[in-house]
Amino acid sequence: MSVRQSTPRWAVGVGLACAALVVAGCSSATESSGSGSDEPGKDTPAVGFITVGPKDDFGYNQAVYEGSQAVEDAFPDLEVMLAENVPEDDSAATTMQRMIDDGAKLIFATSYGHLDAALKVAEENPDVVVVQQGNTITTDIPENSGTYFGTVYEPMYLAGIAAGAATESDKLGYVYAFPIPQTIANINAFERGAQSVNPDVETITVSTSSWCDPGKQQAAAESLLAEGVDVLTQHQDCTSTVIQAAEKAGAMTVGYHADASELAPEGWLTGAVWDWGPVYTDIVQTVVDGDFVGSGYNDNFRVGYKTGTNPFVLAPYGPGVSEETIAAIEDAQAWLGTEEGSPFAGPVLDQDGEVEIEEGVIPTYAENDAMDFFVQGVVGNLAQ
Amino acid sequence: MSLFVDVLSGGVSGGTSIMYAGVGETVSERAGVINLGTEGSMLVGALGSYAVGVETGNPWVGVLAGAAAGGALALLHGYLVVRRGASQFASGLSLLFLALGLTSLFGATYVGQPVVGFDTWEIPLLSDLPVLGPVLFQHDPLLYLGYVLVPTVWFVLFKTRIGLLVRTAGERADSLTVHGYSVDAMRIGAVTAGGVLAGMGGAHLATAYANAWFENMVAGRGFIAVALVIFATWSPWRVLGGAYLFGCAIALGPALQARAFEINQFLLDAVPFVLTLAVLTVLGKRTLSASPAELKRVFENAPPSG
Amino acid sequence: MSAEAKVADAEVRTVPVVARVVPVIARWVGALSVALVLFSVLLLLKGANPITAYTGIWETTFLRSRPLQEIFVQMTPLVLGALAVAVPARAGLTNVGGEGQIIMGGVGACGASLFLGDTASGGVILGAMIVCAMLAGALWAGLAAAMRLVAGVNEAISTLLLNFVALDLLLFLIYQPWRESPTGQPATKELVDVAKLPVISGTQVNMGLVLAIGLAVVVFVVLTRTKWGFKISVAGGNAEAARRSGLNVPVLILSALLIGGALAGLAGMIQFAGVEYKLRASFGYQLGYTSFLACWLARHQPFPILVAAFVFAALSVSSDSLQLDAGVPAASIHVLTALILIAVLGFTAQRKKATA
Repeated sequence: MSVRQSTPRWAVGVGLACAALVVAGCSSATESSGSGSDEPGKDTPAVGFITVGPKDDFGYNQAVYEGSQAVEDAFPDLEVMLAENVPEDDSAATTMQRMIDDGAKLIFATSYGHLDAALKVAEENPDVVVVQQGNTITTDIPENSGTYFGTVYEPMYLAGIAAGAATESDKLGYVYAFPIPQTIANINAFERGAQSVNPDVETITVSTSSWCDPGKQQAAAESLLAEGVDVLTQHQDCTSTVIQAAEKAGAMTVGYHADASELAPEGWLTGAVWDWGPVYTDIVQTVVDGDFVGSGYNDNFRVGYKTGTNPFVLAPYGPGVSEETIAAIEDAQAWLGTEEGSPFAGPVLDQDGEVEIEEGVIPTYAENDAMDFFVQGVVGNLAQ
Repeated sequence: MSLFVDVLSGGVSGGTSIMYAGVGETVSERAGVINLGTEGSMLVGALGSYAVGVETGNPWVGVLAGAAAGGALALLHGYLVVRRGASQFASGLSLLFLALGLTSLFGATYVGQPVVGFDTWEIPLLSDLPVLGPVLFQHDPLLYLGYVLVPTVWFVLFKTRIGLLVRTAGERADSLTVHGYSVDAMRIGAVTAGGVLAGMGGAHLATAYANAWFENMVAGRGFIAVALVIFATWSPWRVLGGAYLFGCAIALGPALQARAFEINQFLLDAVPFVLTLAVLTVLGKRTLSASPAELKRVFENAPPSG
Repeated sequence: MSAEAKVADAEVRTVPVVARVVPVIARWVGALSVALVLFSVLLLLKGANPITAYTGIWETTFLRSRPLQEIFVQMTPLVLGALAVAVPARAGLTNVGGEGQIIMGGVGACGASLFLGDTASGGVILGAMIVCAMLAGALWAGLAAAMRLVAGVNEAISTLLLNFVALDLLLFLIYQPWRESPTGQPATKELVDVAKLPVISGTQVNMGLVLAIGLAVVVFVVLTRTKWGFKISVAGGNAEAARRSGLNVPVLILSALLIGGALAGLAGMIQFAGVEYKLRASFGYQLGYTSFLACWLARHQPFPILVAAFVFAALSVSSDSLQLDAGVPAASIHVLTALILIAVLGFTAQRKKATA
């Protein structure tokens, strides 16, 4: 064994710790008590973005990155900071604080699980706006924060129409990560879109318990294909495995996150892809102008076909989508934009045939964001 | 397709990457060196094969690159533990961190890029057999290469002089020295060979099975391979069976879900690990006595210092 | 420890402190320099200026209050996680299971807080969380100890596998029975304010740091100054000799691993009650493996563990600076971490074939 350490090093270690704590204590006392502001974030010289994964993941995080590029183009004088691979835990607060220390008065915390850290940072920095992407604030919404998201289930409903029309086996497959409301709403909307043109269709679901494990995705895809599924779609952060598995097996694909039609020249139908640019630039403009407080973004903001500028758009169609189906999709998109249009316009039954949404009821975007059941026609179980 | 065939076939294809890594780790451990960096070798193997596959359009060139990358990482492990006296566990984990960092640094540009991967080769006649056909003979060529690999490694380890020398390095290192052989060279060679095979396992995962590169995509399969070797009491044949068994355990979850069985996904995810722990416990002391003597020293006497 | 080693050790003790510490520090400085130089090459390859990168790290990580405090917050579980490796190592055991034991500690603490509800007093909840977390961590390590004693299963392998099982258990709990709301983020309910670990006044650093430093002292004393510490080091050095001299080796092995597990469990409790306040899917991610390496870097000695944990925490916090100041991807910090480890492995080994 090595030389045994004795007191001197110990003293160094503890001394170092104590000294640093004292320093830390002094400096924090002077900086943390910034006063509140009526116009948080106004004239911010910089904007910070944090993403949970790498910015070139060809998926969720890349969409955020591209959105941040759009902000950079639209506001040439603004410094855009981007930190990737920021975990969904308390250390995210340190990263955001670091951006604030560097001058950012507007932070985009872009992962579902960044919400707690975002709210903490917002509370500590009343003059900074922190907006969070995809989650919902269930308590009182502070004056300097909010959440925003699109209604991805709307394009998934439209993609479901394409899938329902194209399937021959009447079995669609859905590979997903975890049963969170966003995913559940996507799956349900996909099935209901498919049902709208093909009443017999069912959507079989397989969970991988991971946002990106290509090996598990392959196993999931193989199992679904073995069950006779002929259209595969997914809610995963990395998407190429499932798309290629479908293509190899001669099945069709509905994409997610990105236009991956080049991976599946034969079987590509369409998909829900992102375009964050317009929403991001509008948020930045609102904040820079000093108009954030009381604006739509100072809330749980949801854009969809009803409000226009849904950041989720439909990807280009593949060869398997007929003119007739495209017309049906366009009609449905127009319908979703009206008052009574919704993927979940009642009646909606759950898997056991119980009525979850009464006839004539049009659930709000907020209610859809809280979905916790599978609709009739979805195969798979949501253990509660 | 029946659940049975679905799970078995998924087990063979999903278990192949683990099998390559496990057979490689068998060679390494037979020489007395355990390599937790197997996970890292698989990772660099996956990226190496994928990147080169994308650049050259030839998956076989990709496999060679993956094998080289996996071997290089293992060579570093061999050097550190054999020549520099580093702790085997610490060195292996350090190399895993290195692999994680390097692959996410240099792999980003390959995420989402299409690769010309391995296609399915249906073996004439054999692939038409009921059950056995879909389970064993409707796969990719890199998987078939695995069928050849196991007997080859077994033969080399147990029927050739070089195999004897490798095993002696793991059993009675002193007697090698007496006969004028270098124990260090044997060990470093065996560890590197193990890394080459782990790199090929990573290559199978990326370019034949999942057809994708993503950071950290090995996701614990290398660790499973290390455990598997002990579970298989250092026999390449049992590694083969064990790897397919693991593959089946992994394939069972999605296969049951696709058939709407009421299962708990998280408990099912734990099955491969619990299964290994259970088998290790049941086999018990038998595994210990089958252990290469030098390896036993590593296990029983993990030194408090490097 | 062999007889010669003991003698050598005794001799070493008589050498003046400076003469012992200087070469150690020199080797470390050498190893760290090599790592930094290698990393500079990589930065250059990625088109970043190493000087800017390093000064950026210095200025925005060490000279600013918040990141500096974050280092102390992050080093706390690493100290305990590394002590959880050090104690079993003294008994010749390799505990690679910190990852799972830390998760189980968090689960134990969270379970205790959920069981007691919001009405119990803060002190009661805190006490219960500490006890349950340590028990849960010890239980997880105890499984490995039992498998070793009953069936001879090597603990390095079993603790490693148990990490994955613990993670699945955590995911099960936060997605199903312990999930706060079926519509929200899969996470448990936030810990009530009265049961959160207090912070060191004027800072955001929780009291766990004091506890961790205190336990490093305790572990040092127990390992070097008590009969039990001596016995486990004998059992760890040569189990056969220990047996012949009448030591109850199984009990020693069991106790060393249980104590290790309890320390890791405590790390999980501190992470839960001092930092996260909720269990989430990412709870404790890589803390165990990082702790293992920190312990190894410190050569399993309690006080150097404090330094090693600080270094690893600082590296982790520095990744923000690498991204924002130098513009290199976050993952590069893994490379720097590994290079430091490998340089230390290569440069500071005591002798050839220490482990063969």
